[in-house]
Amino acid sequence: MRISINPADARPIYVQIMDEVRRALVVGALRPEDPLPSVRQLASDLRLNPNTVAQAYRELEREGVVYVRRGQGTFVGERGAAGAERQRLARAVAERALLDAHRHGLSAEDLVEAVRTLAAGQAQPSTADA
Amino acid sequence: MLPTSLGEGPFAVATQGLTKRYAREPALNGVDLQIPEGAVYVLAGPNGAGKSTLIRSLLGLARPDAGRATVLGLDPRTSGPEVRARTGYVPEGAGGAYGWMRVGRLLQHHAAYYATWDRDYAGRLSRALDVRPERRVGALSKGQVRRLQLVLALAHRPSLLLLDEPTDGLDPAARDEALGLLSEHLADTGGSVLISTHLPHEVDGLADHLGVLRGGRLVAQAPRERLERMLRVYRAEGPDGWVGPEDLSGVIDRRAGVGRELRWTVWGEEGEVVARIAASGGAVRDVARLPFEDSVLALLRAKEAS
Repeated sequence: MRISINPADARPIYVQIMDEVRRALVVGALRPEDPLPSVRQLASDLRLNPNTVAQAYRELEREGVVYVRRGQGTFVGERGAAGAERQRLARAVAERALLDAHRHGLSAEDLVEAVRTLAAGQAQPSTADA
Repeated sequence: MLPTSLGEGPFAVATQGLTKRYAREPALNGVDLQIPEGAVYVLAGPNGAGKSTLIRSLLGLARPDAGRATVLGLDPRTSGPEVRARTGYVPEGAGGAYGWMRVGRLLQHHAAYYATWDRDYAGRLSRALDVRPERRVGALSKGQVRRLQLVLALAHRPSLLLLDEPTDGLDPAARDEALGLLSEHLADTGGSVLISTHLPHEVDGLADHLGVLRGGRLVAQAPRERLERMLRVYRAEGPDGWVGPEDLSGVIDRRAGVGRELRWTVWGEEGEVVARIAASGGAVRDVARLPFEDSVLALLRAKEAS
């Protein structure tokens, strides 16, 4: 699982971590019972405050995506299966697109229509994901 | 208007009315610094704002003319050595002392001084930051001195780090390594950190509190989450000649955007600000939180009167 954070992103960093974990679940990089990196490890890798990583893990636990095994770390739960997170991730992506559309003076209909047209005219873009 | 108090604590560091004058010029002017226990507090401000004087006062290395400080429960004026023994300090600049000593000897010297010095950890830090024991301290470059100072500050696992421009002089790779070591230190100790910097973007990922020092005054201090909730940029457009709401409070900056668009930087509740702009006839197009560095810039530019 490779997590990347963008400081310029409008989402707070802990939300970005949560979305990255969801992304890893949806693309199959993470599966139920897989371990997440420890808070210390991920904080160190991303040069983040460990409290920010812990907050993201706590929120994911509250949503039932991951669970904590005492003394062993944080693991993906059954609810973290790709299907379950797919919808949530799609909502998050849609929300960002809607905000961006509004910023550009476009309505939700304008956006949906443009997405339909694009999707019809284009093969799925290939996203080779590590 | 801007927040300057963090409430009740507990605080690793708290000062009240700290004031320091050099000749007649006030270097610090009534500073009430509050660093909660476990916080990573970024103290931002331009060069000459008083950051180094403030840090030196916390260590008992500068004597304030008025006000008081409590650091780890101690008064640095009377208990300077105890404060320094429990604190990891990266001083400003390269420092001239111990130039004749080999780096390894200086590390041993510190190991004897700090009861909690961790020899293995010091070794790991030295390797990670490429600090070579056989070099003479006086022959080190500015960046090498900085890396050595980081090893000296971290290796006794202090519960408080006072880092004065810790990334100054570091090349990008060393800076990145140092930030990773700081993350690990935080995860291992849960300790408190004060980082002074004039380049806040470098410590963006670590900061959970921000204080802005300008001309010796702490013009704002707040937890990061409060900063991100309250300090926002609003873009709105209105009819010809529209100037927006006349008495919008908390405005830090107002400028014309493209065409009929206006752009405000405001400290306030988003719902209220949006309602005020809408009530004056504008359509709010975008509300965005500021990147950390831009928040610092905005607070530095906030009017003196506010």
